[in-house]
Amino acid sequence: MADPKMRILVVDDFSTMRRIVRNLLKELGFTNVDEAEDGAIALQKLQAETFEFVVTDWNMPNMDGLTLLQTIRATPALQHLPVLMVTAEAKKENIIAAAQAGASGYIVKPFTSATLSEKLNKIFEKMAAK
Amino acid sequence: MSDFAGMEDLLQDFLQEANDLLSDVDNKLVDLEKSPDDRGLLNDIFRGFHTIKGGAGFLNATELVTVCHRTETLFDKLRNGELSLSPELMDMIMAATKTVRDMFGELSSGVQPSPAEADLLENLKAAAEGNLEALAPPPVAAQAAQAVLPADKPGDPNWEALHASVSGEAKSGEVIPAATVIHSAENESGGGQEPPKSAPKPVVAPKSGGGGRRVESATRENTIRVDTARLDQVLNLSGEIGLTKNRLTSLRADILGGKNDSETLHALDQAVSQLDLLVSDLQNSVMKTRMQPIGRLFQKYPRIARDLARQLGKDVELVLAGEETEVDKNMIEDLSDPLIHLIRNAVDHGVESPDERAANGKPAKSLVRLEARQEGDHIVLIVADDGHGMNAERIRAKAVEKGLITEEEANTLDDRQSFNLILLPGFSTKTEISDVSGRGVGMDVVKTNIQKLNGSIDIRSEPGKGSVFLISLPLTLAILPVLLVLLGDQPFALPLSLVREILPIERDKVQEVGGKSTLVVRGEILPVISLVRLLGWTQERYPEYGVLMQTAERSFILGVDSFAGRDDAVIKSLEDFRPRGVAGVTTLSNGQIVLILDMKELLSDAFQQLDIGRGGSRVPSLDVA
Repeated sequence: MADPKMRILVVDDFSTMRRIVRNLLKELGFTNVDEAEDGAIALQKLQAETFEFVVTDWNMPNMDGLTLLQTIRATPALQHLPVLMVTAEAKKENIIAAAQAGASGYIVKPFTSATLSEKLNKIFEKMAAK
Repeated sequence: MSDFAGMEDLLQDFLQEANDLLSDVDNKLVDLEKSPDDRGLLNDIFRGFHTIKGGAGFLNATELVTVCHRTETLFDKLRNGELSLSPELMDMIMAATKTVRDMFGELSSGVQPSPAEADLLENLKAAAEGNLEALAPPPVAAQAAQAVLPADKPGDPNWEALHASVSGEAKSGEVIPAATVIHSAENESGGGQEPPKSAPKPVVAPKSGGGGRRVESATRENTIRVDTARLDQVLNLSGEIGLTKNRLTSLRADILGGKNDSETLHALDQAVSQLDLLVSDLQNSVMKTRMQPIGRLFQKYPRIARDLARQLGKDVELVLAGEETEVDKNMIEDLSDPLIHLIRNAVDHGVESPDERAANGKPAKSLVRLEARQEGDHIVLIVADDGHGMNAERIRAKAVEKGLITEEEANTLDDRQSFNLILLPGFSTKTEISDVSGRGVGMDVVKTNIQKLNGSIDIRSEPGKGSVFLISLPLTLAILPVLLVLLGDQPFALPLSLVREILPIERDKVQEVGGKSTLVVRGEILPVISLVRLLGWTQERYPEYGVLMQTAERSFILGVDSFAGRDDAVIKSLEDFRPRGVAGVTTLSNGQIVLILDMKELLSDAFQQLDIGRGGSRVPSLDVA
């Protein structure tokens, strides 16, 4: 099981949504959470501080979630960082694009803490297996 | 009762944020009409609906999710250039936005939104499929791309399998082609694969107040967003006050212990002065936490003006200025209706049709300006149009015809006074009540609402050039500058905003006209009303001083014995026990309790008696300084 103290960055332009994700993470025992309003701010935070997990929205101003993901994967220091895409986009090409860009997981809004937990565990399992 | 038990906080947050988003979308829609191909705008609007949809999902507001989803799909096509914007599409989008706003209204009263009109949903879908413009149905590939996974099955796509197949991680035995994975889910949504609808139903113009939908305004927002810097300041000041209190406590101990040397007294003096300063700073800071930029109110209006202009076949642009001006939050809410009315009025009655404008050599597009600014301790709001202006002669004739004033009274009014006649109850110059501003709400309601906020309204107009409505409001409702007057040694507080000047009453100058006392001040005949009589006390001596007061309806001189100065009163309301004519109470520095008089209430009784002598017609005093 993952370390509950793991530092998680939640990226979303809608503060209500950041709060929802944060609350769900809290329900699962993750309390070491920081927030960013868009991809660009997230990237700054990721480069300045150490995070072990990123939960990001797709549609955001300035830098969207996909670009953030691609940039993370292209940055040597960050490339192994697990990234969970959280979005209301449930279209085939979106899902494929996320997978191709190297998303560790994809979760469609709205979701419950159980779904989130399941997704997180799958990602942790996969990481542990490597 | 509420459909959102346990989620109230979340709901409040969502509504506040989503309302801002939607207002932003509304404004961008107005911009979009001017530049329909602006990708940036299309993208922003798309994202707005998308974000609202995402939040609504967590609140289980499925109907809201549906409308947002369909609108978002349409914008996705627009931003990708697969569709282009037509006036019909625009109307449909506007209707969708309105539906979303109505649904917010329902949410804010704690109920799940009822479904959107079926026609609207059908049309949105048809439009997104490209059928609205009778285009050939898009190729099958494009339709498939539109397929959407059912929202009630979160994360339904077999992500692991998909991820594995794309990233090539899967063990040889379990490779699942991506297409298959998606397909299983696609069947349920059915979205893009239905046969194209033959012809979309006509877009229904949004009916005002139609349908059984409960619309916003019913409930007030009871949360407020405050800049943390302002809260910190409040915290800081209360800390400082705490320290000063400690200082005073220790000084009190010293003084009670018999220490009264000049040093101790000086320290006491200093501490009290400091407390004085700190408390007034604290009052200001607390007041500031209630202040909100009026832009939050303004941003709804361009859309309203645009819809109305379109309905009337006019070309009107609403220009906003001074959105950053800060106004008390309660006031913002109470200003909403009067401003909407004034804007509707400007668009409907103020500006001319394009033909008429062309005939008069004016540009086809009319400008209506909505402006806010702070002037000293007042907020000034302006609604100005560049239309045909008002005809004072016609207004006077109309007022006489409606029996609001007599012919003789009409003859004494100058143009500016005449314009103010339109604020009287029962006045409307348009013989046919238009569908738009004829909502049973007249300009008198605007005036009443403004007066409730201790404000005033003034009208200026120039034939051919346009009309200006000027609203003046106090900065806050919490602190009221008052004039303290005395009857014997009993003080009373009068709102300073109504006081024009103070003058001695010389008995030999007072003339009795028809049994009423009047005084001529610079050529103006004003009634003298004794405060003692207004309060129903027996008059023992003749008032020595007069306070020349001016309410929106009339000017008069209030007779009092003397004055005790002016003060910034912190109003305490008398909630359960409120005598007629008393607005509230305040405490003076010496601890004495003073009644703050509600002049309007007191006067309405007095003038009813006065007016009987004039054949019962109510005479408005129309001189506005």
